[in-house]
Amino acid sequence: MDNVSQPTPTLSMRLIFEYDGDHVRLVSQQPVDVAITGFDIARTQHPGWYIDTRDASGRSLARVPARDAFSGSAEVFPEQHGEPITRTAVAKPRGAFTVVVPVPEGADHVAVVRVAPAQPEVVVPASRATSAVAGSSEVTELARFPLQISR
Amino acid sequence: MSTSDGAVIGSAQIFGSAPRNRAFNVVLLAEGFTTAQQNDFNNACTAFVNAFRATPPFDELSPAINIFRVNVSSTDSGADDPVAGGGTGATARTYFDATFGANNIRRLLVCNTTTALQVAAAQVPEFTVVVVVVNSTIYGGSGGGVGTYSLAGGATEIAIHEMGHTAFGLADEYPYYAGGNETGHDHHPAGEPSEPNVTTNSNRNTLKWRWAVASSTAIPTMSNPNCSQVDSRPSPVPMGTVGLFEGAHYYHCGGFRPEYDCKMRNLGVPFCRVCRQVIWNRISPLATLAARARTPINVVARYPEHLDVFAVASDGRTMSNWWDQASGWAGWFQVQGGITSPGGAGSPITAVDRYAGHLDLFTVGTDNRVYSSWWDISSGWHPWFPIVTLQCRPGSTVNVVSRYSDHLDLFTTASDGRIMSTWWDVRTGWASWFQVQGGVAAAGATVTAIARYPFHLDLFTVGTNNQVYSCWWDERSGWHNWFPIGNLQCRPDATVTVVARFPDQLDLFTTASDGKIMSTWWNARTGWGNWFQVSGGVASAGSPVTAIARYSNHLDLFTLGTDNRIYSTWWHEGSNWAGWFNVSGGVGKPGGQVAAISRVTEHIDLFTVGSDGLVYSTWWDGATGWAGWFSLGVT
Repeated sequence: MDNVSQPTPTLSMRLIFEYDGDHVRLVSQQPVDVAITGFDIARTQHPGWYIDTRDASGRSLARVPARDAFSGSAEVFPEQHGEPITRTAVAKPRGAFTVVVPVPEGADHVAVVRVAPAQPEVVVPASRATSAVAGSSEVTELARFPLQISR
Repeated sequence: MSTSDGAVIGSAQIFGSAPRNRAFNVVLLAEGFTTAQQNDFNNACTAFVNAFRATPPFDELSPAINIFRVNVSSTDSGADDPVAGGGTGATARTYFDATFGANNIRRLLVCNTTTALQVAAAQVPEFTVVVVVVNSTIYGGSGGGVGTYSLAGGATEIAIHEMGHTAFGLADEYPYYAGGNETGHDHHPAGEPSEPNVTTNSNRNTLKWRWAVASSTAIPTMSNPNCSQVDSRPSPVPMGTVGLFEGAHYYHCGGFRPEYDCKMRNLGVPFCRVCRQVIWNRISPLATLAARARTPINVVARYPEHLDVFAVASDGRTMSNWWDQASGWAGWFQVQGGITSPGGAGSPITAVDRYAGHLDLFTVGTDNRVYSSWWDISSGWHPWFPIVTLQCRPGSTVNVVSRYSDHLDLFTTASDGRIMSTWWDVRTGWASWFQVQGGVAAAGATVTAIARYPFHLDLFTVGTNNQVYSCWWDERSGWHNWFPIGNLQCRPDATVTVVARFPDQLDLFTTASDGKIMSTWWNARTGWGNWFQVSGGVASAGSPVTAIARYSNHLDLFTLGTDNRIYSTWWHEGSNWAGWFNVSGGVGKPGGQVAAISRVTEHIDLFTVGSDGLVYSTWWDGATGWAGWFSLGVT
């Protein structure tokens, strides 16, 4: 190609959250030059914790998963090979997590949301079907935080 | 015990040379190392790098991986080791406040994760995952938002397992919660887990990792005969066999894992095939895509602010990338482990969006059978499945038309050139393949279809005498016989491109035997016109002509010329065809194709395989004109 250019990247923001039980606070937000791949931009409604980038009207512009956030258990590892890895319940989830979210034009704030299946999850269809029967999911907002954007 | 008990010294990149903004960046933080012990931390980091690089698939993905160490000094050496957790009672003044004995379990080693994330963000803003290396020979570690591990032998395995959760969204595959003697974990609860490496589904045809299961492997591969306990019998199949093994996701029964063993089940063993694929699809989108040179690219706009692109990698993998106005390009990923037939120009992936939250894909696999996969907004990607039992020509194209949202019509060529069709309807499922009106296509020719109305289909192909043929189907009268359109002699492997600018008009484009770019039209009032050469254009041998209609009185064409440059022309009602012009200096591979889409009327997006074998894109906008080409990856 004789005339090679790059598309203008979307602004990205690294967010660091701290949580203690159900209470969550945004510790920092920092613009960052990082490519966010499709692996981290949720296009489906799988159950879990997510961070939504929203416009001023509350419309979701992008959603990334917050993996391992609010975990109610911890893994305990064996010292000897062959012994089991186990889990132990944590009385009160506590810790921190980070995500990098896209901040497109019109982004106003972020929201910490939980996606939970409102009914048993997707019913797997019979052989040779082309569509799954959708189980509708339920989105609960835990908290929202304004974005501090300087483009 | 806090950040007042030490200082951040600085950071250094110790592995990799990928651009930081397009890399999987691992950051290792020093904890419990005094200023004098920083060399011990450096050595521990080197050991981690060696262990990480030796772990498949990270060994193959290393061009996209960077590893950094952040040297942090602590006042004291080691970590707290409280008596309540079974420890010695030792205390240490350290920067990240690490302690063994969390939850009164000595091996549970935790730290101040907020501080760890803040230090990582300050030192390496582009980081992907953070691991805290604790200066102690007591065995311990933990996961969560930040992984921790000590210097005890084998503890690096903890960090890599935890990365499986944090960076790749993998589930634990072990079949117990607390070692196997717990209660309430006999049967997995109903519902399919969202993680890609565990399932409750034991149906081979719908299993989410079916793409990795050999037809000779039994499903389930191993069932637990006693759900009150963990099944500890040896594997009935050789290690590395992908199947369905009962006991996973903390439950003795009802939850299944892909292989007998995996790093998400046991430390010290490799990741299973399915987890390796997930890791691959997390890291490889950071790279560009080397594509099969002549295999057509397909693009779909499910709505104006979104594009889904499908291409075939140079090794035949079924690849996709998508763009969304809000987040940019997502990066290339392999769709459900698919590999396409390499014959001819190579089988492309054809895609259709029956509605905005759904995609159906079709291709011909390496066994020359037609395969389909679908994506739905509610459930994600589903494994490829064969649409039995047709044997296609190697490298055949499967063309698909959705006349309405609950219906699909497929067209392709059988191994002997017969023009074959089948359909899917939401009420009846897939029909059997049938030959369309005795039609036989020339070697390498494709079958093009268009639905001008929901109750009407028009087909086009190049017949065995290298002339363009058409036939049609109408809901009231059924299929009609094939008939030649003029007497144009085409390249035998030519594609006939068709556009309906409005329902009673068809415009056809193809390449003559000498490469001339030819067109004709059909109108309901006037019938078929004569073939004519479009603005003197001649295509690169084997290159098809791509056409889009942004308005009912406007056409844009794209192809590769004899110099393999990418050319375009346009027609607007009331004027002649414009002269061909090179699009932004673009050069492709001989015989390559240009995919084009207009997601809004004053905008065109193009995709092609460049002369270096990578997939490129550019766009035209009515306000700004043509942009430069860019290598399509992630933005």
